[in-house]
Amino acid sequence: MNPAAYFHRLEPDYNRPVYELPAKLLKRIRRRMAFLYGNENLDGLMTELERVLQVYYAHKSEVMISWDSNFDPVNRFTEKDVILITYGDLIRGAHQKPLKTLAEFCQTYFKKAFNTLHILPFFPYSSDRGFAVMDFEEVDPQLGTWEDILALKKDFKLMFDGVLNHVSSKSRWFQEFLNQNPAYIDFFTVFSTRTEISPDHLKLITRPRTSDLLSEFQTLRGTRLVWSTFSHDQIDLNYKNPQVMLKMIDILLFYVRRGADMIRLDAVTYLWEELGTTSAHLSQTHESIRLLRDILDAVAPHVALITETNVPHRENIKYFGNGFDEAQMVYNFALPPLVLHAFQNENCRVLSRWAADLKYVSPQATFFNFLDSHDGIGVMAVQGILSPAEIDRMALKVLEHGGYISYKANGDGTDSPYELNITWYSAINREDGPESLDLKIRRYLASRAIALVLQGVPGIYLHGLLGSHNDADAVLEEGSTRSINRRTISKKELRAALSDNKSNISRITSALLDLIKLRTGEHAFHPNALQQVFMVSDALFVIQRTAIGEEEKILCVINITGIPQVVRFAKDAIGRKSNALTDIITGKLYKFRDGNLTLKCRPYHILWLKGK
Amino acid sequence: MDFSVIFDPQDGPAVIVCPKRLDVNNSAQLKDLLNELITRSRYNIILDLEKTKYMDSSGLGAIVSRIADLRANGGDVRIAAARNNAAGLFRLTHLDKILHLYDTVSDARKSLEEQK
Repeated sequence: MNPAAYFHRLEPDYNRPVYELPAKLLKRIRRRMAFLYGNENLDGLMTELERVLQVYYAHKSEVMISWDSNFDPVNRFTEKDVILITYGDLIRGAHQKPLKTLAEFCQTYFKKAFNTLHILPFFPYSSDRGFAVMDFEEVDPQLGTWEDILALKKDFKLMFDGVLNHVSSKSRWFQEFLNQNPAYIDFFTVFSTRTEISPDHLKLITRPRTSDLLSEFQTLRGTRLVWSTFSHDQIDLNYKNPQVMLKMIDILLFYVRRGADMIRLDAVTYLWEELGTTSAHLSQTHESIRLLRDILDAVAPHVALITETNVPHRENIKYFGNGFDEAQMVYNFALPPLVLHAFQNENCRVLSRWAADLKYVSPQATFFNFLDSHDGIGVMAVQGILSPAEIDRMALKVLEHGGYISYKANGDGTDSPYELNITWYSAINREDGPESLDLKIRRYLASRAIALVLQGVPGIYLHGLLGSHNDADAVLEEGSTRSINRRTISKKELRAALSDNKSNISRITSALLDLIKLRTGEHAFHPNALQQVFMVSDALFVIQRTAIGEEEKILCVINITGIPQVVRFAKDAIGRKSNALTDIITGKLYKFRDGNLTLKCRPYHILWLKGK
Repeated sequence: MDFSVIFDPQDGPAVIVCPKRLDVNNSAQLKDLLNELITRSRYNIILDLEKTKYMDSSGLGAIVSRIADLRANGGDVRIAAARNNAAGLFRLTHLDKILHLYDTVSDARKSLEEQK
């Protein structure tokens, strides 16, 4: 029986004994709540928190309770896990709600390769393509219904967005604030005048935008200025108010009831605001994540947290906590710019060195290896890995390829690049370049292969899977540089393209799906299987993965240049016993001669050499 | 009307005078012109947009189509006299943070001279 299909009840069952937090967890959660909110009202807050957990638990089916009690967090992620990232309405058909169209496509074309769907925010929203949520508990009726979401669970694990940093200015919560409803007055960080934040404090605040931090609104009782990290329409929630935290915990558990297996903590870096600090990744933010992790471990251990934090790599990996107490997965933000840098310069030295330094996190946590998403290619993560001049040059190359650059305010009046807005295909290939289409596709696949072989769980954005080009017109039409990678695709046209094995879309998609399917069959590609990086050449990205507790190894060799390469590996150096290795992509056998394996790599050649 | 190029006899910046429309119909011409100038080692270029009343995404793309190469060789593209639609597009796409915009060709030329 697929437990996902018998997940949660729609109505609570209060005939069963109510849930009680195990003593050890209760103590830990109480300690975290005390850290965040002090001891004064702690008993009352804990009583309310326990009530929220009890309500959630009463919705769990017997099947679910039994399944969760046997859940093994070490095997939460395996080589089978590959995540397809998409908006609920990227594929549009006539006379059909987009979520139904998405389900049809995913079941027909993608099910054999992907086991997890990340459906970007599917709630009613007012801006930022879903990230200004008006109602956290409803499915946008233009997309479909909760039943449509649940229907996807027949074949896929689901990732939902927990857009917990902010709400839409059109949300009921914010409207009630404007009405000065006492229950919502402290839901936001509010100032009466701009002078309440000193220029020095303002400079300190780290933000990924150049807009004003404070947005002005007229309320029932006069003008108020509210903290809005991202835009005038996205109002930050005030987590210093415990009622906000309790409300958000209730909502995240509602998502679990509605089918979430993973919850992406959107923009969580900026969760906690504190004047006199950067208000980015504060200790209270990390403690909040630990609190959410404890709560999920207690009542829904199968649900993982994944943090989305476009910050320098050393800060990003702090969201793993000690490997057991914060996110189970962290977006590997340094990967996309480093792969892009390698392909732009036909030199993977920096990428290889960085990959060689990646630390194993824990048996319960791993990286989310993505190259593209609905947003751009973040460049914050490579601060300190690439020089400012290298980042600038990478950004200029993106402009040459038809992309754009988004900026963040530095606080001192200057701006610096924050992300590069371009599709991954256009970033890797110059559309007006003279090269053959074959070469462009090979280069594209080689870039994607890197994210498929690294330690972690790979994810691909739908436009990346299809090899979409830039949608430059949409940028001007919609006034957002991020629109370059968010084109809505006609169901009819996509189906025709996928059925025509000569179309670019079909060639790219089928090659990628084949690579992914191969990957999901190999224990050596378990997210936490050992990885060794061999820095044999600046032109070749070479990594070896070893299956956990087995002798099986896969040596992955990827030529990141358009020039043929020859490389030799000594048998001892790559720890092999057998006399030959098989390329699992082509089935070709490669034999050791005199203890050496000599490989001739074509431009952008991908080799996955398996053997003991 | 096509593009015209005014060369400085003393190896100063080349000025490309853009037509009334800079769009999908002529953006390839601008790319070719930039490629040709780079081939001739002319790395400082001023785009005179005074006559340009309309520009689209192709036009924008053409303007920055060699920006990395130009800067890698110590040069740049400077924008002169961008008005209305064109100026708005530079702002909307944040290209105004990368490209230097000037009111006139002579201001743009002066800025390049000062940079030397």
